Amino acid sequence: MRHMTLALAATALATAVTFGAAEAKTLVVGVADNLTTLDPPNANDTLSAGAQRNIYQGLYGFDSKMQLEPLLATSYEANADATEFTFHLRKGVKFHDGTDFNAEAVKINIDRVRDSKVPTKRQSLVSMVDRVEVVDPYTVKFILKEPFGALVNNLAHAGTFIVSPAALAKYGKDIDRNPVGTGPYKFKKWSGDLFETVKNENYWRKGYPKVDGVVFKSVPENGSRIAMLQAGEASFVYPLPSELAPVVKANQKLEVVKVPSIIIRYVAMNTMKKPFDDIRVRQALNYAVDKNAFCKVVYGGYCKPAEGPVPDLLKYSTTVQKGGWAYDPAKAKALLKEAGYPNGFETEIFSKNNSTYIRAMQFIQQQLAQVGVKATVTPLEAGVEAQRVWSVQKPEDATVQLQYGGWSASTGDIDWATRPLFYGQSFPPKLFNVAYYKSDVNDAAIKAGIATADDAKRAAAYKTAQEQIWKDAPWIFLTDDEILVGQAKGLSGAFAAPDGGLNFEKAEFK
Amino acid sequence: MLNYLIRRIVGIVPVILVIALLVFLFVHMLPGDPARLVAGPEATLQDIENVRRSLGLDRPIHEQFVLFLWHAVQGDFGNSLKTRIPVVEEIGLRLTPTIWLTVCAMAWATVFGLLIGVASAVKRGRWPDYVGMFIAVSGISFPAFWLGLLLIDLFSVRLGWLPTGGFESAKSLIMPSFTLGLGVAAVMARFTRSAFIEISREDYIRTAHAKGVYARAVIWKHTLRNALIPVITMVGLQFGFLLGGSIVVETVFSWPGLGRLLVDSVAYRDYPVIQAEILLFSLEFILINLTVDVLYAVANPEIRFK
Repeated sequence: MRHMTLALAATALATAVTFGAAEAKTLVVGVADNLTTLDPPNANDTLSAGAQRNIYQGLYGFDSKMQLEPLLATSYEANADATEFTFHLRKGVKFHDGTDFNAEAVKINIDRVRDSKVPTKRQSLVSMVDRVEVVDPYTVKFILKEPFGALVNNLAHAGTFIVSPAALAKYGKDIDRNPVGTGPYKFKKWSGDLFETVKNENYWRKGYPKVDGVVFKSVPENGSRIAMLQAGEASFVYPLPSELAPVVKANQKLEVVKVPSIIIRYVAMNTMKKPFDDIRVRQALNYAVDKNAFCKVVYGGYCKPAEGPVPDLLKYSTTVQKGGWAYDPAKAKALLKEAGYPNGFETEIFSKNNSTYIRAMQFIQQQLAQVGVKATVTPLEAGVEAQRVWSVQKPEDATVQLQYGGWSASTGDIDWATRPLFYGQSFPPKLFNVAYYKSDVNDAAIKAGIATADDAKRAAAYKTAQEQIWKDAPWIFLTDDEILVGQAKGLSGAFAAPDGGLNFEKAEFK
Repeated sequence: MLNYLIRRIVGIVPVILVIALLVFLFVHMLPGDPARLVAGPEATLQDIENVRRSLGLDRPIHEQFVLFLWHAVQGDFGNSLKTRIPVVEEIGLRLTPTIWLTVCAMAWATVFGLLIGVASAVKRGRWPDYVGMFIAVSGISFPAFWLGLLLIDLFSVRLGWLPTGGFESAKSLIMPSFTLGLGVAAVMARFTRSAFIEISREDYIRTAHAKGVYARAVIWKHTLRNALIPVITMVGLQFGFLLGGSIVVETVFSWPGLGRLLVDSVAYRDYPVIQAEILLFSLEFILINLTVDVLYAVANPEIRFK
């Protein structure tokens, strides 16, 4: 046995990859999960999109404040009813394989995403596109089947990153393992827990990139991920759980970066079922929960009360009520009494079974108990939860009473923060209106908002929608999250955007 | 012996077939729609249907099973629903690190467990026994995640000697295999001790002492050899369990092992990966059982194969 141990150790040494010998200028990023794919339209997780963003770019992108930023396009024009969009493309850009970036490349990519013969997960981003026309090599025109005012946002989404047409032809379905884009870094390797890229020497933005490459290591355990940062094995870790922020803060070489997010936390109430079909009950539950305390208890203080049904940072978001829905248990009790529930009622709240979600549900349970509402907490494994919400074909069969959840509108447009959640035609299994909320005023406003590309008109429509939703209270409106990043003090230019999307284009070590 | 081996190996085939059927049915009975889970939280109905079609999940279940068997026989377990990477490749990628970790942990744990066990048994009621059993009880009681994080804090963060995790060099094996092996060593020590004490009360050991055999020879040749039978069983069992991957140690040390892969694929309803992994674990256990049976004979020639 001893011989065996020695022999094994010797072989291990011999086959070992040298650790810590990597170039000091390669940026190592510690993340929580493994990537799922490197094929842009088939990614549905923010992390895979973040990895792809090193290699790929879209016509537009998002800056650190989630504002649109021209990347492969330089500008665009749209007609008034949002059915035609013309994009002017950046000249002199080459894919990593030397192929020229031009209008033809855009057409090939968009056609690939929406072509139903090759189903992609993100097809819905461009399913409203009727055709893409190449006007000249650097001008491309999108003609839509129906008005869609948020098209530019959808084209800034990772699902519509532009892939080298030559690589698409060469690799076919295997493009997910051989990504070729126009981004600041070139793909090197992806295997299990490790994703590696190297500097693109011919990157179109002059002077960038400033690091030799970006490496993602997936480290699921929070404590271990922070240890990587402390030990200098990584310079950027995301996510940083709020309970570990003090550890990073205490270290002189590290810092915590706080990013206001577009993630909203809420409890959906089934507005079609008793007792939540009574608006007074829904209002009462909103009054019953102390949002500031929720923030402290569940998210270590890293969030703020929701001031409307849509997170603050999204364009056209309205502050319906400054400071969020008031905390007033007395009023909650009065409303419940008025609605015919003087002694409260029993109900159930369910959500995913991770520790943060359970803590959130328990907190809400405790708050509701103060006004006489006895809620049972049911944590569900992800698949079981999905089954419970989405196997329902008819609204009357829904078993949802209360569901705790979070939503991040990954297109960065308000349409995706309202239509899937509050539109009368978005009931499960179609979309995510788990509250089964339907209001004619709101439905009309959401429809009007997407039917135009005119700023003032969209703003007005969504203001109406948000005020109506707030009034009808299909949710207990809780908080807007803040997301946390831990990083080495010498690092600049690297960021997590408000949707949690990672961006290392301008990363630099000082 | 050879006949026996052949019979045992042939006997594996029907067992594996039954396991395959059970696993297939069990996996498909799990609540939760894989197409929806793969398509992700923001997918529309149309996106989900696309996923279902592209994964072949729209076919009748018996058709899926026959296809699964037919491909499995050819060594093709399909592609992961989550990553679209062939399952064989996904598992292969994690099998090597899992075997390394298991073998290293088992190796040191067995050696130290045996030594501590024998020392405690021979000197029972005296200080080596107390020290040994104190170590053993502590080893069982230490929660692995806590020990793991303590080790990382000491050796990676404070001293900077060892990497915090990952499988990149021999150095990265040290902390995970220690953490994983500690519990095994503890069980092994206790097991060896009690087996050893039991055997040393046997008549033939008393006879050996009486006829003047050296004490050392009695310990190593007569007593230990006989005490090894239950210990080998234990080693086999532990080995089998560890090959299934250890979720806690793999998570704390970011170890790319099979345990995490299984948990992740269950969460994703990644049918092909779950099926292949459980089949692999079953096969591992069957082979380990076989090996253990053969080792009995090596340890004690009085055991005959009938």
